[in-house]
Amino acid sequence: MDPTQIINQRVEVAVFYRKDCDVSMLAYPVKMKFKNQEIKFTRLGLRHPTSKGRRMVHIFDVTDDVNDYRLEFDAQGLTWTLISMIPGVSL
Amino acid sequence: MNYGLNTDEPRIMWIDLNSAFAMAEQQAHPSLRNRPIGVTNRLSPECCVIAASYEAKALGIKVGVRRSEAIALCPDFVMLETDPPKYHHVYKKLMAIMQSYSPKVKMKSIDEGIIDFRDMDKTYTTERLIAIGYEIKARVKKEIGDYTKINVGIAPNRFLAKTAAGLHKPDGLDVISYRNLLDVYKSLELQDLNGIADGFGSRLRSFKIDTPMKFLEAREDLLRKQVFKSINGMHWFNRLRGFEVDDFETKLGTVGRQWVVKNPSNDEDYLRSCLHFLAETTGKKLRFRNVDARGVAVWLTFQSGETFYDKRTYKTGVFTDSDIWLRVSKIFNQRPKHMSVRTMGLTLYKLEPSARSQIGLFHNTEKDQHVTTAVDEINDMYGMFTVHSGDSLEGTKHVKQKIPFGGTEYFELLLKRQ
Repeated sequence: MDPTQIINQRVEVAVFYRKDCDVSMLAYPVKMKFKNQEIKFTRLGLRHPTSKGRRMVHIFDVTDDVNDYRLEFDAQGLTWTLISMIPGVSL
Repeated sequence: MNYGLNTDEPRIMWIDLNSAFAMAEQQAHPSLRNRPIGVTNRLSPECCVIAASYEAKALGIKVGVRRSEAIALCPDFVMLETDPPKYHHVYKKLMAIMQSYSPKVKMKSIDEGIIDFRDMDKTYTTERLIAIGYEIKARVKKEIGDYTKINVGIAPNRFLAKTAAGLHKPDGLDVISYRNLLDVYKSLELQDLNGIADGFGSRLRSFKIDTPMKFLEAREDLLRKQVFKSINGMHWFNRLRGFEVDDFETKLGTVGRQWVVKNPSNDEDYLRSCLHFLAETTGKKLRFRNVDARGVAVWLTFQSGETFYDKRTYKTGVFTDSDIWLRVSKIFNQRPKHMSVRTMGLTLYKLEPSARSQIGLFHNTEKDQHVTTAVDEINDMYGMFTVHSGDSLEGTKHVKQKIPFGGTEYFELLLKRQ
């Protein structure tokens, strides 16, 4: 089964910017507001840039140690979108 | 016994990001780490695994296993669709790391490549290469992600370097040189050798060559004249001894695309539109490689199990989407039209360096070239298939681009499509 749940909703995100570190960690989201809940991210899985037509977007795969979230930052429109999430599974 | 081994210091480093797509997904999704997962091109009940995580492989879920079979083996098995931009990011990061050590870096596929240190100065000893190997491993974890592991193999030629990289998966670093080569061969089965699968394996066994050591001990003339019946026998004789025979560029022979028809049908409009779309994507590949094609082949398989194949060779080469489609559709129109098509494909062959800058005697290609270049530039800027033939509109909705597995030549092109 594919556990990915598509969400595609604009969200409010707080981002942490660092200096003097590897480019993959220069900026990463620390928390977001989704469905009136504040979700704090504990780890950044992977960040990768890609393009949508002419627009540059950055994909952040993050986790709160329960669920995994895929956030998209539109570098032109300066918007954050929660693209999808993978609910955590107890093993 | 003197085997005539290559006694040069090992200076080829093979870097292998095993289970690359699955590992990239586990890197991105911490909840999927240490779990059996797989990646497929298109999710469907009967889709196949194109990359499996180590945990899945341990359960017998390997490349080619259907999703239904995988779930039967492991009900918790997770299958995800491919995400080319993610893999491209990992590929580019890995390549950048490798290129920081030597100007001679060659990616063999999306997830593996070699660093050639043979032209570097004599300070690049085996010990130094081992240190570089561990440094690359550390950089991969830091610059790509903490879950990402690579295998490193160091040897005097590509074949042995790849063999070394496979000795201790998924996080190994091994060196093969003339000093330990015999011990390595003694620890392997014949078909553990890269390039020896069922075909060559049974051919070798028919000559009582059933272990790597017996393969090494076989005479060169036996391998060349009887076992392989070609120069391949001599190549294997040298390859096994650590001499480089695989350092060459392969010539581009064909360009093409194939597609498993979504909802098999004999609907003329549907099939034409999808094939037209395949012809347009093939045209983009052709121009990406800067070649023209004189030959066109089209093949179909039908639900009944029967097949259709035809090809034609022309005196002049083509490169525009419209010219390619004109030639493809002439062949396609000859098919038995009452039959339901299951798979379709086209191949362009007799490829020649582009003659687009030459002025034609009877037909001026300058205008065609300008129009094609303009359309390609628009599509590069605004996304693939912003401008395309109206006839292929239906095809764009059905045909999805697959992740190219064998080589990395079309990766940039694929990402534009995405």
